[in-house]
Amino acid sequence: METGELYRYSDMVNELLARYGVKFGIYKNNTFKEQLFPFDMIPRVIGKEEFAYLERGLKQRVAALNEFIKDIYSEKKIIRDGVVPEEFVYAGSGYLAQCEGVLPPKGVYSHISGIDLVQGKDGTWYILEDNLRIPSGASYPMIARDLCRKSSPATFEKNHIEDNRNYAQLLRQTFDYVNTGGHTVILTPGRYNAAYFEHSYLAEQTGAHLATGSELIVEDEHLYFIDYSGKKEKVGAVYRRISDEYLDPMNFRPESVIGIPHIYDIYRKGNVALLNAPGNGVADDKGIYYFVPKMIKYYLGEDAILNNAPTYLPYYEEDMNYVLEHFDTLVLKDVAEAGGYGVVFGSKMTKEEKEKFLALLKAEPRRFIAQEVIDFLDIDIYESEQRVPRKADLRAFVLMADEPVVWKSGLTRFSRNPDSFIVNSSQGGGFKDTWVLSE
Amino acid sequence: MRNLRFAYHMQLTFELPAFHHHFTVRCEPATDERQHILTEEITIYPKHFDSRQVDSFGNHCIYGIANDAHNYFAVDVSGEAKVENTPRVPALPSHRIGMFRYASELTKAGKKVTELLEAASFSSDWGMLSAVSKATACMNCLYDSYRYEPGVTGIDTTAENALELGVGVCQDYAHILLALCRAESIPCRYIVGMMMGEGASHAWIEVYEDGFWTGLDPTHNRLIDDNYIKISCGRDAKDCQINQGVFAGGGKQKQEIRVSVREA
Repeated sequence: METGELYRYSDMVNELLARYGVKFGIYKNNTFKEQLFPFDMIPRVIGKEEFAYLERGLKQRVAALNEFIKDIYSEKKIIRDGVVPEEFVYAGSGYLAQCEGVLPPKGVYSHISGIDLVQGKDGTWYILEDNLRIPSGASYPMIARDLCRKSSPATFEKNHIEDNRNYAQLLRQTFDYVNTGGHTVILTPGRYNAAYFEHSYLAEQTGAHLATGSELIVEDEHLYFIDYSGKKEKVGAVYRRISDEYLDPMNFRPESVIGIPHIYDIYRKGNVALLNAPGNGVADDKGIYYFVPKMIKYYLGEDAILNNAPTYLPYYEEDMNYVLEHFDTLVLKDVAEAGGYGVVFGSKMTKEEKEKFLALLKAEPRRFIAQEVIDFLDIDIYESEQRVPRKADLRAFVLMADEPVVWKSGLTRFSRNPDSFIVNSSQGGGFKDTWVLSE
Repeated sequence: MRNLRFAYHMQLTFELPAFHHHFTVRCEPATDERQHILTEEITIYPKHFDSRQVDSFGNHCIYGIANDAHNYFAVDVSGEAKVENTPRVPALPSHRIGMFRYASELTKAGKKVTELLEAASFSSDWGMLSAVSKATACMNCLYDSYRYEPGVTGIDTTAENALELGVGVCQDYAHILLALCRAESIPCRYIVGMMMGEGASHAWIEVYEDGFWTGLDPTHNRLIDDNYIKISCGRDAKDCQINQGVFAGGGKQKQEIRVSVREA
């Protein structure tokens, strides 16, 4: 890999990223803070063969997850056949009764999936988490690659790297496949959202309108975008970057002021496509994660190509016993939490913390999953001119039109803290470009 | 079996003109095996357009928008129904039952609900009882320990809070009984409807067993009969609000509901 020249431009690229607004907004103690999303120039490099393997596994996984969501909101065969216990569906926070009996355009639920993987020290890849609601992050490697290319064109001439500039085109195809007739809109809560940069960047790259809820209105069973002159234009697809609960005050949370009244009613009738489909949370819950390999077998009749991290469900007595016996070697996750919160390591608890936690675990076994701690393969980052190893994961993006397509790149996030396994941007992590080799 | 004439009137009066008013109303009784809607007339004032659809709970909804300024919003539903003298109605489809087994936001069992359930389930053969028998035992126990009194609880009062207050209205009776049944893993749902006489709309519950929903009215401590007309159902009151709206302007608002049901 000839990359030496590229690294000289680190400061310049980071400066440009800041100027373009590549930031991550977070709310802490009720105040909004924007922080830079630090970019490390050393790419994660994935070989052609290895990526082809990931690609097969990811396509299979997303196809099964899509079938699962469709089944849950219709006949629920997987519950009836005893593969997934019903409490994991109904008592989870992602299940929305309002989605019962609603079939989205072309039967696609998870149009844009962000699947988080890690690689163990022995090279084995594991799926860590599925994100099927509104996974963000594709814009960061897109713009970073663009800037790297401009700073060091030679690096990209000498190395055979898959071009990742096609994300916008893939996204556009995903929109067009389900569009019911009319414009495509990217619906943003506004500039104080953590991922506002991404919303505006993807709108610009795909040619979709960027709009807030107040610019969209439902009338006569259709959705309209009201342009600057007051003219109404019909909308056929909405890539909505606001969560289900706030999407429509008439159907979900009534206090929402960022949603569009009645958008869900016309979606139910097939008059507009919503990407991703409301209700997808039922499939990316940490409790449901355990069942994904079983889902793949159930719906596709195949063995899972990509492994889950070894996971135990204290809900099952056998697993509970295992968890109690091996507590100090496991990481425990609260299924209701996200963004790196609600994750505790058995080995790092004090005696009192452990006692308190075990009492909670025994009282609410369904609320937790336990996983073996995977010793991630470290990836080098530059810190004060030194190469130092850090933990990193990979968010792969799978886009679904008539069939799932894996974007030949991805968001590699790393932990800046040498002792931490938690790479979430909301917890101060940075990111890298992901190079997939074409030869 | 009886033929009933029903009239439902809801009026929302605004202090200041309201406009861009998006509404959804669930006020249309539907025909099922127990009640046959023979004639029906619905008027909504004002409206710019309206549309219809059936939600995930099977409720008939009318939704739309009233753009121009208006000082009140009114819904009138009237008609005639033939009602069978049975509390039971077939439950279809079967894959829409599971969601009613788990506590919703307003029906989570806390300390008070758990205590009441313990009091209701003392008998040694409790485990052998059918779902409807268990629900009936819970209803009896609730009726003896709870008092009807309007004005204390509100539309967002949870079952647990309502029980703690010791008094409430039909909505609270229904929520508490749902919380009790769900703590016993019995699928059950909230019902909004009308009953014989003059007054407001009413709420009761239905309990699922062996392919049928059975209606129990905890406010009156009895099974429902041909005096009851069902309008809508859901996991709790939030799923079956008769009128929902989002609008600009309006200021303070006052809601008035009048229901009349009499023999045809």
